[in-house]
Amino acid sequence: MSGAASVQVLDFACGVFLLAGVGALWRRALSAVIGLLAVQGAALAVVAAALGADEHHPELYAVAAGVGVLRAGVLPGLARRALAASGEDRESEPLVNVASSLLVAAALVLLAYAVAQPLARLEGSQGSRALPVGLASVLIGLFMLVARRKALSQVAGFLLLDNGITAVAFLAAAGVPLLVEIGVSFDLLLVVLVLRVLTVRMQSAFGTTDLDDLRELHD
Amino acid sequence: MNLIGAGLACSVGLTGAASAAGLALPRRSRATGVGVLTAALGAAGVVVGVAALSGRTFSACLPDVLPLAGVYLGVDALSGLFITVAGAVVLAVAVYGIGYHGHGHDPGRAASALFPLFALAMLLVPAAASVSTFLVCWELMAVTSLLLVLTEHRRREQVREAGLWYAVMTQLGFVLILFALVWLAAAAHGETFAAIRAAAGHLSPAVRGTVFVLALVGFGSKAGIVPLHAWLPRAHPEAPSPVSALMSAVMVNLGVYGLIRVGMGLLGGGPRWWWLLAMAAGAVSAVYGILQASVTSDLKRLLAYSTTENMGLIVLGVGAAGLFGSAGKPQLAGIALAAALLHVVTHSAFKALLFAGAGSVLRATGTRDLDALGGLRQAMPVTTAAFAVGALGAAALPGGAGFVSEWLLLQSLIHGLAVPGIVVSVVLPIAVAAVALSAGLAVATFVKALGTGFLARPRSDGAARAAESPATMLAAMLMLAGAATVLAVAPGLAGSWLARAVAGVTPVGPAVADAVRTKLTVLGSTMSPLVVVAGTVGVTVVLAGLLRLVVGVRRRAVPLWDCGAGPPSARMQYTATSFAEPLQRVFDDVLAPESDVDVTPVVESAYLVERVSYHRVVPDRIEHRLYAPVLIAVRWCGERARALANGSVHRYLGYAFSSLVILLVALAAVK
Repeated sequence: MSGAASVQVLDFACGVFLLAGVGALWRRALSAVIGLLAVQGAALAVVAAALGADEHHPELYAVAAGVGVLRAGVLPGLARRALAASGEDRESEPLVNVASSLLVAAALVLLAYAVAQPLARLEGSQGSRALPVGLASVLIGLFMLVARRKALSQVAGFLLLDNGITAVAFLAAAGVPLLVEIGVSFDLLLVVLVLRVLTVRMQSAFGTTDLDDLRELHD
Repeated sequence: MNLIGAGLACSVGLTGAASAAGLALPRRSRATGVGVLTAALGAAGVVVGVAALSGRTFSACLPDVLPLAGVYLGVDALSGLFITVAGAVVLAVAVYGIGYHGHGHDPGRAASALFPLFALAMLLVPAAASVSTFLVCWELMAVTSLLLVLTEHRRREQVREAGLWYAVMTQLGFVLILFALVWLAAAAHGETFAAIRAAAGHLSPAVRGTVFVLALVGFGSKAGIVPLHAWLPRAHPEAPSPVSALMSAVMVNLGVYGLIRVGMGLLGGGPRWWWLLAMAAGAVSAVYGILQASVTSDLKRLLAYSTTENMGLIVLGVGAAGLFGSAGKPQLAGIALAAALLHVVTHSAFKALLFAGAGSVLRATGTRDLDALGGLRQAMPVTTAAFAVGALGAAALPGGAGFVSEWLLLQSLIHGLAVPGIVVSVVLPIAVAAVALSAGLAVATFVKALGTGFLARPRSDGAARAAESPATMLAAMLMLAGAATVLAVAPGLAGSWLARAVAGVTPVGPAVADAVRTKLTVLGSTMSPLVVVAGTVGVTVVLAGLLRLVVGVRRRAVPLWDCGAGPPSARMQYTATSFAEPLQRVFDDVLAPESDVDVTPVVESAYLVERVSYHRVVPDRIEHRLYAPVLIAVRWCGERARALANGSVHRYLGYAFSSLVILLVALAAVK
């Protein structure tokens, strides 16, 4: 792959990454949200691979493959199984409705670009121009955690958040050391497993997975 | 590296060894190992301090010890004075600790290892020569002392409350000191003391004034100045006795050191209102502290309040020195500062001695309540004698250690009336009155402590079973008593050291030092405490001999007339409470004691009384008025804040999200 082509691939992947994040806020069907997460994971893997091609780091290909398997395959698969077990496919009444959510998402993307300007201007690598995309995904993920009720939406929000963090790490510093990446991925896997168990338990206890039913957490 | 550097390095090494001994040695030999090594650490401190006092100086920069800032050390005569005092008290208290901890009061591994670290921190604070080094040493001292106060938290519930009070007060003080010094360093564009000293003259008066007030409040809280004294009567009684001795005799001094170092050394003196503020705080502390001490019946609490009194006198002296300096009277300033520094030294000697004595009593009887003591003179003769020497010093009577410095302070205040200005001519007589009143109340307080605590007959089983302390504790008390006696009868010996310490701080230099030395020597010769003591002792001995000659050697034993009310019992003697009752009556409006009489009638008839119970407490009024509203407000805010946490996960996530977004928006807007 030539330098110019890899930059174009990188830009395209970043665009898909951001769109998938915003799309996850737009769709109410949880299966569609999980599908968008898989797309975002795949885009992240492409970002890593394109960076590897651009900066001639062959080990980034291995990282890209690992990221792709985990974030586009394993984690969405686990979420799908949890979805099948819970039997609720719609985020019926979100705390913030879809239209407002999209407006907020637009504002958050603007904020991310405004804040990350000095970082984007750093003449480090091709990736640093696209850095605000990762930050935007972090903010959108956090917003999803706040604005959606179902436990599976929380899982999705958390995954958006973590995808964003990983994207920032890739774009700013061409990835963290392999050992750290493996550790983070392992943590992520555990978190999703725990949330999945939680979803199933909530379903059997309350008949719904609305997180606002958990109100005991105060002094 | 000269003697001072070698001594400091040596003390750091000894601290490591002592802490390791505290952690590693088995219980049987732990107290001895830690005690011996800590005593050596104290001796190293004395060597460093004396070397600095005899004219050597030392400065060093260790860039690798603290990241970014580096460690700057600098020892001059003023530091030397405080290091000498700290080292000497550490030496004696470490020896005392061998007996105290070795026989029954084992503090455990952690406290044994922390004790030398606390001692080292107190040696290093005066040796720091940059803001960051000073703050690190100060915080090390605060944290180690807090952990040591909590040593016995498993045995008594009150220890935790005392620890909480101490932690809050000391950290608040630390924050203020941090603000003051960091602000000063930022304004002076340099954080070493030398850089600040060079730039301090060009700062704006507003910055200088604010820094001084912050430093006064911060260091005042460490020195136990009213109204920031609330931790002192709590933490000192609840700490193990060697720790209370170190805290009360050395740690509070460092508050004074900080005030002198920042106010006079770094800022180089200031306008009149600074020092009038310090004098007012000192005078109020002196009178209020000793007043509370005179009505309390807890021995260690009494000593803690007496510390507030003495620190008040010292701050009063420092304030007077600054006032005279700002009025262009360097000689008077030198005398007042010398008086304050001499009082630092003597107070450390007699207060360490008194706390050691109180620790012995506590160890032997299991109580600190003066009402339940008495009759210790026969069982504990050495402790009683040592406590008497300390009490004489604290009472500021001729022959006692505190007398010379208080006398010098009074003289400088009286001569200060020559300074023109209406404020001065109003303030100085009041200050003289405050010193005199506190001296008088101190006599009553320590007569009470010695008389009801040690003389007459025991008033409880614990006091009746008392036995003399182990030899190491007695040796330490005798060492401290010897130091107090030397300071009392021959204060002129310290003259040249004091002169050098004073000359290092006040900008005027050697001329004033000469004046101070002359003054101390003249004081030594004209009213020579040695002659006073020798005269008093001689006359007493001669009179006693004459009486025996006249009355005769033969003694006649006759039954005592008891008014027909049965033989006199220990319940009929003066207790601490009853001794203080007249004082409490006189100062009723100030102290506002709360008394409560409960009369329970017999069930059959309301006219027959079954039981009468009488309760009386003397609450700390300043604390009630000042702290209670703040605590209530904080508690109210805490209760209201519970509504913020209603249990909804989304709300908690929302807090995090909105704070992040607000932060980012602010960042984007500021840029």
